[in-house]
Amino acid sequence: MMSAVASTVLLAAEETPNPFLPAGYDLFWSTVCLLIIGIYFYKKLLPSMNKVLDERTEKIEGGLEKAAEAQAAASAALAENERELDEARREAAQMREVAQEEGKTIVVEARARAQAEAARIVETAQRQLEAERQQAVVSLRAEVGVLASELASRIVGESLLDDARRSRVIDRFLDELEAGVVEVENPVREL
Amino acid sequence: MLLAELTGNIATVGYGLAAVGPGIGLGILIGKTIEGTARQPEVASRLFTTMFIGVAFVEVLALLGLITGFLFT
Amino acid sequence: MTLYTALTVLPLAASDHEGSGGGFHAPSISEFFPPAIFGEGTIFEFNRVMMVRVIVTALLILLLALATRNAKLVPARAQNLVELGLQFVRVDVAEQIMGHNAKRFVPMITTIFFGVFAMNVAGIIPGLNIAGTSVVGLPVLLALWVYFTYLWTGVAKQGLGGYLKSSLFPPGIPWFMYILITPIEALQVFIFRPLTLALRLLANMIAGHLMLVLCFSATSFLLLEGGGLIPVTSALTFVAGLGITLFELVVAALQAYIFALLSAVYLNLAVEAEH
Repeated sequence: MMSAVASTVLLAAEETPNPFLPAGYDLFWSTVCLLIIGIYFYKKLLPSMNKVLDERTEKIEGGLEKAAEAQAAASAALAENERELDEARREAAQMREVAQEEGKTIVVEARARAQAEAARIVETAQRQLEAERQQAVVSLRAEVGVLASELASRIVGESLLDDARRSRVIDRFLDELEAGVVEVENPVREL
Repeated sequence: MLLAELTGNIATVGYGLAAVGPGIGLGILIGKTIEGTARQPEVASRLFTTMFIGVAFVEVLALLGLITGFLFT
Repeated sequence: MTLYTALTVLPLAASDHEGSGGGFHAPSISEFFPPAIFGEGTIFEFNRVMMVRVIVTALLILLLALATRNAKLVPARAQNLVELGLQFVRVDVAEQIMGHNAKRFVPMITTIFFGVFAMNVAGIIPGLNIAGTSVVGLPVLLALWVYFTYLWTGVAKQGLGGYLKSSLFPPGIPWFMYILITPIEALQVFIFRPLTLALRLLANMIAGHLMLVLCFSATSFLLLEGGGLIPVTSALTFVAGLGITLFELVVAALQAYIFALLSAVYLNLAVEAEH
């Protein structure tokens, strides 16, 4: 036994085997080691690590999704707020417009009423004036007639005592007078 | 008196010769990669990978020089 | 006496006698074929490198299982680290190269990346001190896995004729160029791709291990067997060894990345016809 070992050791020392041709035992142990490593990687390590990685990816993706959702909700709320604000603003503007319109109509109405009132007052005044003038005219006519006839009778005497003639003369005189008054009165009415 | 004796395998010299070409090749290869990276840093990783593929092909020539020493003793 | 460098000229000049401490043993390829622990000569032969592979496999699974034993939505520190690694492979390797086709191949590329990285990094872990990928079996096996997967995928996706046409007759080339291109492409697709994939990883790990062994065995040789002021120079080799250890860490990650990256490139060429 010992001599056999010694001789092989000697043999190995004398002629070193070619380092580029694999020996049977070399290949055998290589295969064993590689198989064990390969099986461990294929069956155990990579699947378990992939599971963890997938899980993590899922988590991250879920987180991102949630964040996106929150973002969407926030932006929706913001849009809603803006919309409401806009609506309120428009409503206010509308109200203001309506109020302005109303104010305008109120002013117009007031003005119209005031004008009507003024017109009525003017008309009343004119009517009163007219009536007073008429009255004045009537009274004047009576008084002036009496005064004139008295004056005339004083100047002319009896000839004018006849009633019928007197009134004819007075009327003609007053008509002439009125024609003159009317011509003066017209520009006053224009005002 | 013997001042210096050289025994052993002449293949050693052969390996020295075999290493010259790949040495120059590696120099050019790596130098060019550095140049390319300096010019376009954004493709650095791509260049790096390609450089190592090239290095592998050049390097094997020098290693063939090494193994001939063992093969043809 | 196998290797004298500029450094070893000095001790030689100082001490002319040979064989006082067994001399300096340069590392050789027999580093990677240590004596068997059991099962000598059978297919179950178990030596130090095989032991390292088994230990690394157990450690890798143990650490990953501990880090993710109750995987939570909000990751703890260890779980975060694992997720970072998985995401790096998925995004920066698989998806960057394959785009939308990546999903099917992510488990494969992840297994390759983590497996290769763990096996590589064993080369600088104290106590293990040799990379599981520095013996040809594992790189070859990984390369064959990628090789048959991309052939199978190509034939399944594009049909036998379609796959051969898209990989052997790249479009956009004048017809007479195919006389030159097609044999090269055939060699490339069917031989060089898996071969270089395995060799790149293997040679890197062998070279790294040899450099480390050289530095540290030189350190111990200079320290213990050099006369006069020679042991001082061992500090130099020791620092160099530390530097190479850090370099090997980078190489371990880089080779895992490159292996995964090229697997993704080859698979992508099979899934999608070149255009």
